Amino acid sequence: MKTTTSITRRTLLGTGAAASALTLATPSLLRAQSYPDGNIEVYIPTREGGGADRNFRAFSSIWKEKLGTDFEPGFYPGASGRVGYEIYMGKAEPNAYSLIFGNMGPEVLNWAVQEPKFDINDYFYFGRVDTDPCCVFVGAESPLQSIEQIVEEGKKRTLTVGTSRMAHPASIGILALGEETGAKFNLIPLSGGKNTVAGAVTGEVDFSVLTSGSVIAAGDSVKTVLIFGENRVGEALDNAVSINDAYGMNLPEMLSARAFGIHRAAAEEFPDRLDILQSTFDQTFEDPGLMEAYVASGGTPEYLNKGGVDECAQFVKDMLELGARYKPLLTGA
Amino acid sequence: MGDTSTILIEVFLETIGFWWVIVPTIFLGLIVGGIPGFSAANTIIILMPLTLAMELQTGLIFMVSLYCAARMGAGIPAILVNIPGTAGAAATPLDGYPMTKQGRGQQALAISFVASSLGGLLTTLIALAAMPLLARVGFYMHSVEMIVIMLFGISLIASIAAQDMVKGLIAGFFGLMLGAIGADVVYATPRGTMGFLELYDGVPLIPALVGLFAVSEAFIIIEKRVILTEEGQAAMENPTWSATFEGVRETFKRWAHIVWTSLIGLVIGVIPGAGASIASFVAYQQSRTFSKTPEKYGTGHIEGLIAPEAANNGVTSGTLVPLLVLGIPGGATAAIMLVVMQFHGVSFGPSLFQQEPKVGYGMFMAMAVAYFIMILTILPLSRYMSRVTTVPTIYLAPMIISFTLVGAFVPREYMFDIYLALAFGVIGYIARRTGYHVAAILIGVILGPLLETYFLRALKKSEGDISVLFSSTLGNILWVALIVSLVLPLVFDRNRKKKAMVIQ
Repeated sequence: MKTTTSITRRTLLGTGAAASALTLATPSLLRAQSYPDGNIEVYIPTREGGGADRNFRAFSSIWKEKLGTDFEPGFYPGASGRVGYEIYMGKAEPNAYSLIFGNMGPEVLNWAVQEPKFDINDYFYFGRVDTDPCCVFVGAESPLQSIEQIVEEGKKRTLTVGTSRMAHPASIGILALGEETGAKFNLIPLSGGKNTVAGAVTGEVDFSVLTSGSVIAAGDSVKTVLIFGENRVGEALDNAVSINDAYGMNLPEMLSARAFGIHRAAAEEFPDRLDILQSTFDQTFEDPGLMEAYVASGGTPEYLNKGGVDECAQFVKDMLELGARYKPLLTGA
Repeated sequence: MGDTSTILIEVFLETIGFWWVIVPTIFLGLIVGGIPGFSAANTIIILMPLTLAMELQTGLIFMVSLYCAARMGAGIPAILVNIPGTAGAAATPLDGYPMTKQGRGQQALAISFVASSLGGLLTTLIALAAMPLLARVGFYMHSVEMIVIMLFGISLIASIAAQDMVKGLIAGFFGLMLGAIGADVVYATPRGTMGFLELYDGVPLIPALVGLFAVSEAFIIIEKRVILTEEGQAAMENPTWSATFEGVRETFKRWAHIVWTSLIGLVIGVIPGAGASIASFVAYQQSRTFSKTPEKYGTGHIEGLIAPEAANNGVTSGTLVPLLVLGIPGGATAAIMLVVMQFHGVSFGPSLFQQEPKVGYGMFMAMAVAYFIMILTILPLSRYMSRVTTVPTIYLAPMIISFTLVGAFVPREYMFDIYLALAFGVIGYIARRTGYHVAAILIGVILGPLLETYFLRALKKSEGDISVLFSSTLGNILWVALIVSLVLPLVFDRNRKKKAMVIQ
């Protein structure tokens, strides 16, 4: 059977219009389906070469394979992470092509003691990479060599306690211990992990509190005597016990917890993009290469610990509540 | 002892065998040290994947050589074009640059190279021999003692202000006020930031440094054809090797000065958290205090160049002591070395020298060998490097400005820092044109925040009791030494005037 097709002017114009519309719409349709079609910028609110940098490079080296694009880190240190967050919230486009990689512990505590310029509900964390519990440690030559001795001495005189900065989960942990036992502690901010270790080792302070990863790195110059969480590494932290076990307390884990965050506006406008980020984030954890990269970057294997939106939100809520509770002590108000 | 000697000889021979790593790294270090804003620390960070891929020994030799060479490299632009590349080199141009303007740039470079190398080599050997003892320094130098050490450096403002006390003190206080900008170190309350987030961590040092010194200098030299004086031009027309040898000879004649000031650097370097900027200013101040010719400082005086250069290289070896003996990195570069050593499974602290003595001794040996090779390799360069001073200012000034602005940008990668460097350039220009000393401003900017940190820490520890400042024996000894070093120049000055009157 022979069929013929005649092209009328109307058909031609109609087909042409449809083709043009399809051509014009293709990029946006494809972009929605092929996210990401460009690199993802990651705002890191600490210095290049620090713990967050190493942690980020280890994680993103595997994640980029799952996501099919590269990550471009930008470092915005200053004011205990405040500068990086302000720049991310103030200048980065909320389009899921820019993320923030921060430490939920100290950085969220910042918001509790000093409100930022942006609304803290305008971003949220969707992927936690690791959790590193804070701990109490003494210098190898300190006369105080156990938590019992510290508490006993703290009841007789006010002990000086080195901390990385006032608004830090470790600071909250030691203040909570003081409340529970009646021991008196005077927090001395020593500006950073290495100074906090140095303070305890050289006797500038009676003892210090810090994230345990940094304490493990200090080797046998220090001795850990209490963990504000679970001791997942045993001997590496001198088999120190948990504060909750030792004193029958119910303190949430005081953690350094690094996580990726995103603008809430981006998640609401592009939920499909967030889905892709989350699913590839999960796949990254399933890849055995992640542990290798994490350990190679100096991470403690036991601390690699995946968390999703809910775990992060709960952690942020706990930090904000604790920050508000201890605000007078952390701000000197 | 016998075992240690065997290990040292073995490690020395092994390290010499790595000359193929050390020599190119020295040149890399000189370049990154000489570019403002770059440093050994950020170069090692950039090259971290390469360093981690190397064997431990190669990686450590690479990092140590880079560290030493970068420290020395920072002095080159400070001397030749008044651009201190790092805070540690901030005291170098005080006498180095006037020498350059007088046409003695080649001698100044030779003096800087020899003083740095000898200071570094000597303190490395002392650190190697007295490591356990030096590691104890940090156990005694706490916040109270550090307050007095800071005051030694800050008192240099008064010396600089000697010619015009009111203007000098105004400049110093202005610097201290600038240094107080930023969040306070205890409760992180922002002060004087004018709403700029970029100032929350205080005035960034590199933009302040390059702005006050280099940008303002570029504004000044553009008014002239070359940076050299007329005599300087004549001297630079036919540069010869003899100028380099003259510099070497002059430095060797002052060997005792090198020993003394590099030891100041070593002792300050072993204190965790203290650094090259403190050491170089304190060494300069001490050198001037006990000089028979203090009035010559700031005019191109050789001792004024030797003191900061020997001291900041003394710091380099000092920072390794707390890293290796206590596991505490004394500075940013040492902190990165710690990461690399951890990656290779090396444990730190007192047990390091029992478990891995070759690693511990090897780092000091690498430093000693690097300093030794540096003397031989870079001294001949002084003749060629000093030629930069003959470049007409219409080319040199824009080059200085662009280099320094890039340098201001690099450490934090904020455009704000470029604008800040320009603003400091304008402040520096006005200060120079109206007779205020930019070095006095800079001392305030650099040492002010450190003084405040130790002061607030001491007060926090004592819960606000000001008498804590006089609560330690060592602190009290240092207070007396400070008073003596402030009073002595007045006594010396009076005696000199008396003698002059008697002679007349």
